[in-house]
Amino acid sequence: MIKWSEIGESFRIATNALRTNLLRSVLTTSGVVVGVVLVVVMGWTINGLDAIWDETISIIGKDMIYVDKWNWSGGGNWRKTETRKDITLEQAQALVARMETSELAIPLARQWGGSVSYGNKSIRCGIYGTTFEYAFTPAGVTEFGRYFNEVEQRQADNVVVIGYGIAKAIFPDGDALDKQIKIHGIPFRIIGVVEKRGFLFMDFIDNQAFIPLFAFRSAFGFFDRSFSIGIKAGSVKLLDIVRDEAIGHMRQIRNVHPTEEEDFSINETEAFDDQVRNIRIGIWTVGIGLTILAFIVGSIGIMNIMYVSVTERTREIGIRKAIGAKRFSILSQFLIESALLCLTGAFIAFPISQGLIAGIYWTARAGFDLEFLSVVSPLIQIDLLLIAIAVSVAVGLLAGLLPAFKASRLAPVEALRYE
Amino acid sequence: MTQPDQQPIISISHIAKVYEMGDEQVHALRDVSLTIGANEYIALMGPSGSGKSTLMNMLGCLDTPSSGTYLFNGENVSDLNDDELAEIRNREIGFVFQTFNLLPRATALQNVELPLVYAGIAKAKRIEMAEQSLTHVGLDDRMDHKPNELSGGQRQRVAIARALVTNPSIILADEPTGNLDSKTGQDIMNLFNELWRAGNTVILVTHEEDIARHAHRIVRMRDGLIESDEANTKPLT
Ligand SMILES: Nc1ncnc2c1ncn2[C@@H]1O[C@H](COP(=O)(O)OP(=O)(O)O)[C@@H](O)[C@H]1O
Ligand SMILES: [Mg+2]
Repeated sequence: MIKWSEIGESFRIATNALRTNLLRSVLTTSGVVVGVVLVVVMGWTINGLDAIWDETISIIGKDMIYVDKWNWSGGGNWRKTETRKDITLEQAQALVARMETSELAIPLARQWGGSVSYGNKSIRCGIYGTTFEYAFTPAGVTEFGRYFNEVEQRQADNVVVIGYGIAKAIFPDGDALDKQIKIHGIPFRIIGVVEKRGFLFMDFIDNQAFIPLFAFRSAFGFFDRSFSIGIKAGSVKLLDIVRDEAIGHMRQIRNVHPTEEEDFSINETEAFDDQVRNIRIGIWTVGIGLTILAFIVGSIGIMNIMYVSVTERTREIGIRKAIGAKRFSILSQFLIESALLCLTGAFIAFPISQGLIAGIYWTARAGFDLEFLSVVSPLIQIDLLLIAIAVSVAVGLLAGLLPAFKASRLAPVEALRYE
Repeated sequence: MTQPDQQPIISISHIAKVYEMGDEQVHALRDVSLTIGANEYIALMGPSGSGKSTLMNMLGCLDTPSSGTYLFNGENVSDLNDDELAEIRNREIGFVFQTFNLLPRATALQNVELPLVYAGIAKAKRIEMAEQSLTHVGLDDRMDHKPNELSGGQRQRVAIARALVTNPSIILADEPTGNLDSKTGQDIMNLFNELWRAGNTVILVTHEEDIARHAHRIVRMRDGLIESDEANTKPLT
């Protein structure tokens, strides 16, 4: 049975006690303050990472499927993958022709470790040969200029659309358009620059250059090359249907026996989720470790000060017991006091965390030119505040338990005799 | 001296209290039996160390005897746990101490409210009752004062108001005038007389004959035993 009059009294006592020992209270909470700052900053970092990741994924295209000899996530048996036969241009074109449920299907030829050069500047990058339809994938949005068109594709013109990273490295002044760059020694005219897409470890996707499929053949040849097929489902909901169709066609095209497993891979953005998960786990492990440490140190401080508080107020406890306070009344009085103490710590920690987060944010954004941070808010999320409040109250209750228990079990006569 | 036929409020028989001080045992009470009825006015007398306070704490359910039985309103106190004792103290007993024992940071009104807080009475009702009690002891103009803004006599009045506010069965006062000058002590004694006349049961611990003369029954103690238990035929009431 809870008497609200008592709980109210407990709050009054606790706030009074904290106010009379304001400086001491504030100093005691420092451990809790550090803990809460860590929780909030860590939470914000993970939230930010998620937001950036989400943005990256949607730029690569959540509804994109890439049929490839290779498995992007490195999953499966690499040796077995290596023994797979290359996907030929004919097979790629057959799949493109047969796909019905998808919005787009595009053949892709890829040259790893290629490079483009301009004057004495040169940058290593991936070179892709593809069709004009690539413009309609999420990867085809140009910041400057345009994508190559059907005519240029058919004529295998030496035109190139370069990624943001390449443009930035070679033409820092932003005057890339119409410049002649050399790919594998062959001059190509820049007709477009793709907008920035890569965040974090996905930076490599900005270091790509796109040329018409048959211009690619002139530069690198199709011999000994595995093609891949980019398929745009049109929406995430359609992914399952489109994937099933692609697998079905591809098994036929590649003559895979129904009892055998596929000799090709279906790659989706999900493949990268593992990497993000690992980063998250890393942050959590370090963060949680530090946080627990801070809260342990913090709660020892709180427990200590609560013991002091109980001792200082022994006589008061005696008076309260003499006039009818039960064990629970005394217990709740000190528990509420220590919970409020920690809550004070949380509220001291919030502006500090906010300052820190804003600092990290603006330093990263300005100092390191990490403009992708624009998808992250430099403000602490409300749910983080609520979590921090809950955690600090829990720590307070835990740290106050032993002192409060001691107080509640004091013998009234002894307590009244205490000087 | 009234010895009503109805059930006594307090009935203790062969009570002893032993304190362990290291290897030494202190026999604060050796073998005490006492019966107290409603609306009695008793003075517990005796030299310092004779066990008066120990007996009073026992009677007020602040402490439990080492042996013997204590019936409070017919109920055996030895059978009760801490919380049940707290409830008896809250409802049935009003304490007045020599050192006042007020909460220093609370106002007179808040101090008097406190027993009602633990009785679970709602705020508005609490304030009304506490104000009434303070008015009763003549402090209607000092309700918002903290103890350190009050004189000794006024502090003791606050304590008495706090003891009275729950309308207890008995009022236990341990040397209530011990920290007051004789004039103020006299005022406080007049207040106790008045409470007795209004029907309260008053037990007063004192070592001063002048104070004890107000009571109608005087119990004298020595070395943890009752030396005499006599009616005061000419009370100063
Ligand atoms: N908590 C205690 N621990 C040890 N000895 C005590 C305690 N309380 C009282 N005593 C001893 O018991 C005896 C009676 O004390 P008390 O009842 O306070 O006497 P009085 O009130 O008559 O002066 C004294 O010898 C005192 O020292
Ligand atoms: Mg005494």
